[in-house]
Amino acid sequence: MATKHAVEGLFAETANGPRLLGSRCATCSAPYFPKSPVCHNPECTESKIEDAEFGPTGKLWGFTFQVFPPPPPAKFDEPFKPYPMGFIDLDEGLRVLGQVTTDDMTKVAVDMPLELVIEHLYHDEDGNDVVTWKFKPAA
Amino acid sequence: MREVAAVGLGMHPWGKFEDKSVTELCRHAVEAALADAGAQWRDIEAVAAASSRFSGGKGWGLNGNDVVEDMGSTGVPVYNMSAGCSAGANAFNIGHMLVSSGAHDMVLVVGGEKMPKGFIQTSGVEEHTDPEFLRQRCIGMPGPAFWAVLSRRRMHDHGTTEEQMAKVAVKARKNGALNPNARYRKETNVEEVLKSALVVYPLHLFEICAVSDGAAAVVLCSAEKAKQLTTKPVWVGASAVATARFDDGITRGIGGMSPTGITHHSEAAAAVKKAMEGAGVGPKDIDFVELQDNTVYYELAFPEEFGLCEPGQSEWLLENNETIPTGKLPINPSGGFISFGEATTAQGLFQICEVGWQLRGESGERQVPNAKVGMCQTIGLGGNATAVVLKS
Repeated sequence: MATKHAVEGLFAETANGPRLLGSRCATCSAPYFPKSPVCHNPECTESKIEDAEFGPTGKLWGFTFQVFPPPPPAKFDEPFKPYPMGFIDLDEGLRVLGQVTTDDMTKVAVDMPLELVIEHLYHDEDGNDVVTWKFKPAA
Repeated sequence: MREVAAVGLGMHPWGKFEDKSVTELCRHAVEAALADAGAQWRDIEAVAAASSRFSGGKGWGLNGNDVVEDMGSTGVPVYNMSAGCSAGANAFNIGHMLVSSGAHDMVLVVGGEKMPKGFIQTSGVEEHTDPEFLRQRCIGMPGPAFWAVLSRRRMHDHGTTEEQMAKVAVKARKNGALNPNARYRKETNVEEVLKSALVVYPLHLFEICAVSDGAAAVVLCSAEKAKQLTTKPVWVGASAVATARFDDGITRGIGGMSPTGITHHSEAAAAVKKAMEGAGVGPKDIDFVELQDNTVYYELAFPEEFGLCEPGQSEWLLENNETIPTGKLPINPSGGFISFGEATTAQGLFQICEVGWQLRGESGERQVPNAKVGMCQTIGLGGNATAVVLKS
């Protein structure tokens, strides 16, 4: 059984560790995730899009818990296990959505430091390990 | 630009109506609005309608055409407006312009919808370029999670408690119980709200609006015509439409800029500002407001984001009963989305009808005393927002 990405091209295990794959405008430094072919900032004078990596560290802006099985197109392993998720402000100026990995949901708190990881999301019908980006409490 | 009056207000109650088509719901609302205006269908010179994604419209959002065919094809121009939950008031904006510009003397604005059960699936397409798909597939985060994250952040910023959020629902349902057009007409209490199913922490079932069926219609006309028809016209102070800004604090996809310190709902704040300026009124002149309470969080956040009160003051207003119909800042005397549920594209028009009835002093037990200026606002998918100021 192989490891597969939930969606290709959004994240990678680089030589420096896990990173989100996006882009940034060299003129106005607006961040984009996923990648954007052009800069959408109306104040920007010239769109100069370059590939950019985001992560691994940031902090939790706000959070909630998914307590029931989410409807399609979400996918998860049975039986469903609740998980925390939220908006994470990465140090590079990107606000990104993601799950937070923790076995103790009472420890999840606004402003907690987090670190990007690539972890299991669900097993597909062929038994492959499908992974996505998540955030774990930073040491 | 000419003065415009809302002379006909009509609504089909909100609820679940298995045996009725959206066309029947709309007909009920249109006939009520025409009767209220003392006008005939053939007096209507143009129609602006909300495009529904979920019902009627021949699959193309041609809901105004459905209404015209049903009422009788008079050959009038029809404008179908698509703007998610803002579609109803978006159509109102067009209807207002059609009359204020002098293009037409009498225009019908209508919105009706029958909703499928369960959470609203915003796109439904499995495409890797669709941010809705990416959020749900890669993170397992359905739509209501946004409200929950914002609510939890508010608890952090302002010390808002789960009990206070429950009190918003209790207040909403108390108003809804007095409104024959509301779907939920039974009062509730804090304990019952907090015991209702936890949908997405910290929000419970009673704190999130359900999906409903409903329809509402408004007849707009010129001042000259209004004076012939009624002694109690409701004047349109302003109707405004805006969309979200690039630097908005809430990422609408899966990633965006880190916060820039501006509002989290730039489209809503911009529409409200524009409407108040257009009507020549300030926050202190607004006697009451109907705001889009998809969840109780908005009733706490929006008054602050709209400048109706200071940041962090909403909970105080709530606790001191200042948001009930007889308070200093009555919010959603209709019962709001919490009591009506959401027939998405008709919501803006149910609000306008409610504000109109309040200004005419016809709201019975939920009447805001001496209501002279009322405002309503919506926010919809795609970064769409509207605001309307009405005056007696």
